Amino acid sequence: MIFEIADVIISGLINGSVYALMAVGLTLIYGVSRAFNFAYGSFYSLGGYIAFLLFGLSFINSYFLVFLLAAPILLLFGFFVEKALVAPLRKRDDWEIKVMMITLGLALLLDNAYQVIFGARMKSLPPFLGGAFEAGDFYLSHQDVGIFFLSIGGILVFRWFLNNTRTGMSVRAVAQNPAGAQIVGIPKEFVFAATFAISTVMVGMGGILLAQKYFITPMGGWDILVKAWVITAFGGMGSIRGGLYAAFIVGMLEAFVGWYFGMTWTLIVLFAVLLTTLAVRPQGLMGKWG
Amino acid sequence: MLRVTQVTKKFGELTAVNNLSFEVAQGQVFGIAGPNGAGKSTVYNLITGLYDFEGSISFKDQNISGMTPHCIARLGIARTFQIPQTFPSLTVAKTVEVGSYFGSQTGFDRGHVNEVLAFVNLADKREAPTGSLNLLDKKMLMIGAALATRPEILMLDEPMAGSNSKEILRLMDLIRRINQDLGVTIILIEHFMKVLTELTQKLLIIETGTEICCGDPREVTSDPRVIECYLGDSHD
Repeated sequence: MIFEIADVIISGLINGSVYALMAVGLTLIYGVSRAFNFAYGSFYSLGGYIAFLLFGLSFINSYFLVFLLAAPILLLFGFFVEKALVAPLRKRDDWEIKVMMITLGLALLLDNAYQVIFGARMKSLPPFLGGAFEAGDFYLSHQDVGIFFLSIGGILVFRWFLNNTRTGMSVRAVAQNPAGAQIVGIPKEFVFAATFAISTVMVGMGGILLAQKYFITPMGGWDILVKAWVITAFGGMGSIRGGLYAAFIVGMLEAFVGWYFGMTWTLIVLFAVLLTTLAVRPQGLMGKWG
Repeated sequence: MLRVTQVTKKFGELTAVNNLSFEVAQGQVFGIAGPNGAGKSTVYNLITGLYDFEGSISFKDQNISGMTPHCIARLGIARTFQIPQTFPSLTVAKTVEVGSYFGSQTGFDRGHVNEVLAFVNLADKREAPTGSLNLLDKKMLMIGAALATRPEILMLDEPMAGSNSKEILRLMDLIRRINQDLGVTIILIEHFMKVLTELTQKLLIIETGTEICCGDPREVTSDPRVIECYLGDSHD
């Protein structure tokens, strides 16, 4: 029983860490530009498919190389999408709704493109690390440990970037005060595009990390979009700290509900969390950038 | 130095600025006044590129109409807002650094940041979070962030609003030092006529986005059209 509960806690922590990486990206876009990206789940799948393609190349034999090559591809893709599809809408009335609609359209386009290019069957990636820690009934795979530390590492790198780089400083300034940021010379449009690109890298990396456990499918991103949205709303729209707390709470909740009631109950419980949050505390745990 | 020529801005049916023209000379303290809703802040928003408009605005003979706000800031036009637009999670020093990093054409200069902090009397609060400052210090800070961009023109939007008489004297002293010691041209929106007559060399009065009169502050403030604009029509 104790080992079972330990397993559940570890599973919750590992999923929570990857959810945190992805939810921070989603809340970052909303916190900075007030835009909600409905294609976020499809960017998760994109990360998995890019890794799948890279592993097909003869000279790629390690995850280090995959991350090294996938990150700039995702960054450029996110930057291009923002500049080509999202930025032109910002000057129009009700642009937030229009951004939701166009990213929804992009999600459908990407998911169907994945189906045409890669087929409907699920794709798998090789394990990140082999072996496991074992002690009696206790079992913890090295892969899970690696996923946990890579996700936490990704979040720490992101935190360092926000606090210690010129672009990070501009992202924080635009998030807190877009008008004030512009008049001290910060290019707001570039910051919006950079934020979108960074969040694409974060969710794409999440896609590569989780694809080792849950496979890659053309429609697999929708589940992630829903979870990231629940976490973002639960933590507080635009609050990075709130998103981190919410990601681990949701990861843990999902693990315990799956273990006790069965996996079919997890989404029901997540939606119950979302509804309760919106009804009782619409601003979420933190409610603002933090 | 700054030339605003036949500028008009409409928001739907409302004409906020109507065929307005004026010129600001280098080294001048230029005042803009008018009743609430006269379009003063809109004029600032047009000059700093926050809104598009009809007409033209040029800075040092370069047409800046249609430029983005950050490009205009980097050209040398800085501004503040009536309500200080701070970055609550950044410290005082970081806020000024933002101006130096992004707005200065000569690039980031830590020495200049320190000089600016001392100039606006915030050197001893450099590590304080912006959110913890009182209103006067927030105003000083955002003037500091603007100065860190090394502006040639500084546009101040009602800096005295919400200040007591002691604070007004401090702000007036700061504006004089920015103009005289740093050689920065100032454009000042203000309601306090005493402040305008003491600080400015030229004063523009607008109402509903249209010029009422423009010239020497003492002559302008005694103009019957300005008195009527501020006090209403007399029935005596």
